[in-house]
Amino acid sequence: MEALIAADPAEIARARAESLVLEYQVKLARYLRRMVGDAEVALDLSQEVFLSAFRMLQADPKREITAGWLYRAATNAAISFLRRKKILRMLPLDREVDRPSSLRTWSVDERSATSVDLQTALEQLPAAQSAALLLTSYVGYSSAEAAEILGTTADAVRQRVCRAMRVLRTVMSEER
Amino acid sequence: MTTQKDCAQAEMLAGAIALGEANEVQRNSYRAHLAACPRCCAELGGEHEIERVMALPADASKAEHWAPDLRHVHRQARPQRALQWAAVLGAIAMLIFGVRATQKHVPVTAVPRPPVVASSSQAERAVAALNTQTAPQREHQAESLVFAGTSTMRLDVSVDGRGLPKRCTIIKSSGDRALDQAVCRAALKAKH
Repeated sequence: MEALIAADPAEIARARAESLVLEYQVKLARYLRRMVGDAEVALDLSQEVFLSAFRMLQADPKREITAGWLYRAATNAAISFLRRKKILRMLPLDREVDRPSSLRTWSVDERSATSVDLQTALEQLPAAQSAALLLTSYVGYSSAEAAEILGTTADAVRQRVCRAMRVLRTVMSEER
Repeated sequence: MTTQKDCAQAEMLAGAIALGEANEVQRNSYRAHLAACPRCCAELGGEHEIERVMALPADASKAEHWAPDLRHVHRQARPQRALQWAAVLGAIAMLIFGVRATQKHVPVTAVPRPPVVASSSQAERAVAALNTQTAPQREHQAESLVFAGTSTMRLDVSVDGRGLPKRCTIIKSSGDRALDQAVCRAALKAKH
């Protein structure tokens, strides 16, 4: 305890950031890959999230950074990315380009039926519904926790999950 | 007769059932709505159907084996601050020693030659180019800040006739852009 009190605040911030990275990097990268459909982009976005967490800790080493905060930052980063991607798709120059589905970047052994069905459905969903579905049924948060992360109500999360489930059901029936 | 409000309520109930958060009263209410609303019955499905569909993301989560490749991070995890400084100081010392060694063959009585890099604008351009170097494919900036480790790098420093460094070029990067720039800045400040 004495050592902790005597420690340099920058050292404390670094140590806390390190533990955050070690504990959440894989989980967050997986969540982001599902959100954006691309592993490289997911890694870049998770970098942004951890970097902003690290900067916040540098500014205030005592600041509490929870898993919820990280997922909120990750969701916002993913939604911003998807919005930019959507704008790029609307540009006339891009009209003739056959934009590959995100699944084409996945390795063959990752393309199990469940994985493909889920990703196909996620690609058709608005980002807010994807986030609600993933945070609850994929990451494992309750609707109240997901609502806190997404800045909405638990009822709204349940409604988004229901709408996402409707698309998922359609995809599953089409596949079979 | 069901209203749009009932259907919206049914969506929330279906969501609660999907997340395993619905109690028996809510389940009964959902069943009653489905019995009265054929559209919701077709679009949302019964409780078993909801549970079947919602098993998919949970199964995908359990079966997920993809993980980012973090070997490069773990290789340099938990550095010692003293080692970092030793590496930086060592690199600077080697740099200074190398520059002096290359200058030894110049006779003291020789007529001073024009500077290797005489134009200050050239030097400025070199420094500007250094600052706009293309970064490695992924900088892993967060990890490099958190897990900043030891590494080696090679620099080429041009020195004019007065012993003042005019240009610093990175021949082999340490892999950390911030570290590269710091060492280059230090090399440009030193007098040789």
